[in-house]
Amino acid sequence: MKNLLLLTPELLLAVLALGLLVWDMLQKTSSARLTLWLGVAALTLTLLAIVPQLSQKLQGVGSLWVSDPLGNFFKILILLATLWTLLLSMEDRSIPGGQMGLYAATLSLAALGMMLLVSATDLLLVFLSLELVSICSFILSGFNRSDPASSEGAMKYFLIGAFSSAMTLFGISLFYGATGTTLLTAMAPTSNPLLLFSLLFMLVGFGFKVSMVPFHFWVPDAYQGAPTPITAFLSIAPKAATLGLLLRIFTILLPHTALSLTMLFQVLAIATMTVGNLSAIFQTNMKRLLAYSSIAQAGYMLIGFVTSDPLGQEGVLLYAFTYMAMNLGAFAVAMVLAHASLPAEQDPYHLRTYDGLAQRSLGLSLLLTLFLLSLAGIPPTGGFIAKFYVFGAAIRSGFYALAVAGILNSVIAAYYYLRITYRMFFVSPARETPIPVGNYLATTVAFAAALTLAIGLYPSPFVESVKLSMSYLP
Amino acid sequence: MPWLSLMLFLPLLGACAVLAIPKDNRQAIHVASLATSALSLMVSLGLFFAFDRNNPGIQFAEKADWVPAFSIQYSLGVDGLSFPIVLLTTLLSFLSLIASLGIRERIKEYFFWFLILETGMLGVFTALDFFLFYIFWEIVLVPMYFLIGIWGGPQKEYAAIKFFLYTLLGSLFILLGILALFFGSTPHTFDILELARQNQQFSRTFQIVVFLALYIGFAVKIPAFPFHTWLPLAHVEAPTPVSVILAGVLLKMGLYGLLRVSFPILPQATQWFLPILVLIAVINIIYGALVAMAQTDLKKMVAYSSINHMGYCLLGIAALSPTGFNGAVLQMINHGIITGSLFLLVGVLYDRAHTREMTAFGGLGVRVPIYTGLMTLAAMASLGLPGLAGFISEFLCFLGAFPVWKWYTVASVAGIVITAGFFLRMLQKVFMGPLNAQWGNLPDIRAREILSIAPLTVLTVALGLWPRLALDLMNQTLIYLSTLIQ
Repeated sequence: MKNLLLLTPELLLAVLALGLLVWDMLQKTSSARLTLWLGVAALTLTLLAIVPQLSQKLQGVGSLWVSDPLGNFFKILILLATLWTLLLSMEDRSIPGGQMGLYAATLSLAALGMMLLVSATDLLLVFLSLELVSICSFILSGFNRSDPASSEGAMKYFLIGAFSSAMTLFGISLFYGATGTTLLTAMAPTSNPLLLFSLLFMLVGFGFKVSMVPFHFWVPDAYQGAPTPITAFLSIAPKAATLGLLLRIFTILLPHTALSLTMLFQVLAIATMTVGNLSAIFQTNMKRLLAYSSIAQAGYMLIGFVTSDPLGQEGVLLYAFTYMAMNLGAFAVAMVLAHASLPAEQDPYHLRTYDGLAQRSLGLSLLLTLFLLSLAGIPPTGGFIAKFYVFGAAIRSGFYALAVAGILNSVIAAYYYLRITYRMFFVSPARETPIPVGNYLATTVAFAAALTLAIGLYPSPFVESVKLSMSYLP
Repeated sequence: MPWLSLMLFLPLLGACAVLAIPKDNRQAIHVASLATSALSLMVSLGLFFAFDRNNPGIQFAEKADWVPAFSIQYSLGVDGLSFPIVLLTTLLSFLSLIASLGIRERIKEYFFWFLILETGMLGVFTALDFFLFYIFWEIVLVPMYFLIGIWGGPQKEYAAIKFFLYTLLGSLFILLGILALFFGSTPHTFDILELARQNQQFSRTFQIVVFLALYIGFAVKIPAFPFHTWLPLAHVEAPTPVSVILAGVLLKMGLYGLLRVSFPILPQATQWFLPILVLIAVINIIYGALVAMAQTDLKKMVAYSSINHMGYCLLGIAALSPTGFNGAVLQMINHGIITGSLFLLVGVLYDRAHTREMTAFGGLGVRVPIYTGLMTLAAMASLGLPGLAGFISEFLCFLGAFPVWKWYTVASVAGIVITAGFFLRMLQKVFMGPLNAQWGNLPDIRAREILSIAPLTVLTVALGLWPRLALDLMNQTLIYLSTLIQ
């Protein structure tokens, strides 16, 4: 039972999350900020609990899970993203005030589910944690109950989510039928048709979470309806966690090259980035635009997953980390602008609100330009280094079509990212009032910008840590 | 003392300073940007005297590890190929900044982007690590996009986005080429000179594929036919100082890339591609000149004449001989100087008359004599009048190309005639004949404007009479380069 200690961070987070819930119930008039700060404290403690385990490689009880650097990398990423989400939430006005404890606890439990997901090596645990993440995400995306759009998004999310969970479960049962076990480590990969079938069914569920085309239809509505911090959270954490899982299953335990699924993944990657980018061109709402852009970004990350050599795997890790910084930054700026828009304006996230931003706040518009250029993959930003990594992996492994598709997509993406800079710099503003920026939002934007630039200008430490993280069990 | 880094990052420092100055303080913004750019120019002039003209190799080299995991280095240096262009860049940037003092709108952003642009351009010409080279190559795009899009003419937004997407597509192909070279070399390296030394190990097919990928990126910048369609639009819509930079420096990036990267690293592919390249050169020369002839807008005419002039450069490098290379690089410098002054002069006229239609003028020679003199000299230099800079370099390009590509060279000479045709017609329409009464009290060129143009005029004459001023800098390196390819 000594091995149970490997779960210290997860256990700690679970206890603290439930504690938050209880604490909120005991308080008659709890301060929203204080509750969120308690959530921040819980997540920080969990992060600290991971530190002593950073480089160890151990098998958990009954081989349900492992504790290895690969899993820890994603755990840290998830916790950072959750922390950041809490900071963003401090200034969000769409979260009903009295339920902050529930909010913070649900967010922490979602993070807990993802932490389990990235270390799972048994399909049972995979399914359980996937469900934990899904249920928490449904609740969070519909958190603003007074807004019908929020409920609609959450409903769509729930229906498609439930459907894909069922598919996954069906796939798992087929897997059990084919191999007699739910343990992923127990068998050598073979091209047994039943096994392939089962994996494809499971892939539906995973693809749903990664927002892989064609399982992406829920994304724009859920993203648009959810409170913005949750949108940022959903666009980063579950995506990264599921990529971690895919990486573990399909490049390490049951390599897709051995299952001859490479071609399928290649097609899925190209479809994901192309559909995401082409749809993003026509969006007029910032949240929807970022939703489609996040689909496309998932496609780029899948490039590294397709090549499945160490370079590609590291590329996925680096990309996921960079993506967290630049996407959070973009969402934070979007929140600032939505707050600054007048109540008379119908849609605070309409791209119209970006008109002439450069003349209202040059600093803010330069920062958003930085995030957008990074998303477009233009140096000297982190996004470039990340793209460089995955494209490099594609070239080295001989996936030239994939690399060229990635490049053509980058140009399409540059077009719609630049449409926002176009509005910020080239259009004159409707009114010249300066834009108030709250302290928490300013902090998040500053951190995100610093990280995005740091990865771009001095990538060495990030590359090194990604290299160290690519060590895993078995 | 890391002189090159100093020269490279002074403008960036200026950009940060400009960002910190409140936007109403115009004077401080002007001083900060002019000062940093002037210092950068001073450093490059200092290096001009320290530059060893007998050394074909890299000078003032700086090297530091940057991303050891991919053996990416922060590696700078100049040789006879890059140093003349670096000088051109610092000079034109400084003069364009002087010409930019007339900008009234949103000057804080303007100077911020302009200084970033200068750092980006200098970086392209001094970087010796392929990764670093690419980063600077892309950095140039972003400020250019804003400079055209905010301060440009009526169609500025369209021009800006077209410029950006066009060049981005091209440069992403360069990225693929770079990655292929990195993974194709053993040991893996991004060092441009090391790759050139290893050029024997690349198979012919590999070379051709990589060459084509790089060529797309470089050809967009040159711009070589048929990738030239972004140029007239961007040139015409850009504000005057930006047009100067665009024509004077940005167009050189493509040719520099061919000479620095494609030719030495991929010699077999170069030989394979040469017949196509020389054909493209002739098309650029003839087609560019003919289209320029058809323009009635002064700026458009100068823009298309750039396509024609870049054709001479391509012809020169297609010779693969020291003479041709010398001619091409000298032509790059001369074109920067001459076209730079032409754009500045057109801008001076446009600022006063708010039109650039040739037919709207007439007889200005009486009204604005100093302006007329400067314009005539620049036009004569551009059409290749002996005694002025343009002649020497075009002559050298022809001289180099003739032994190898006889008929192509003969055809290209026709370009000179057409060029002479449209420049003379322009001079006639604008400056001769009876004075159009509409411009009866057009003021002559002002001191500040002369200040930004005069150095270029002096250089035009100086390089025409004493071309060794520039040729001595580049000759040794270019001889070495041509042996590397053959």
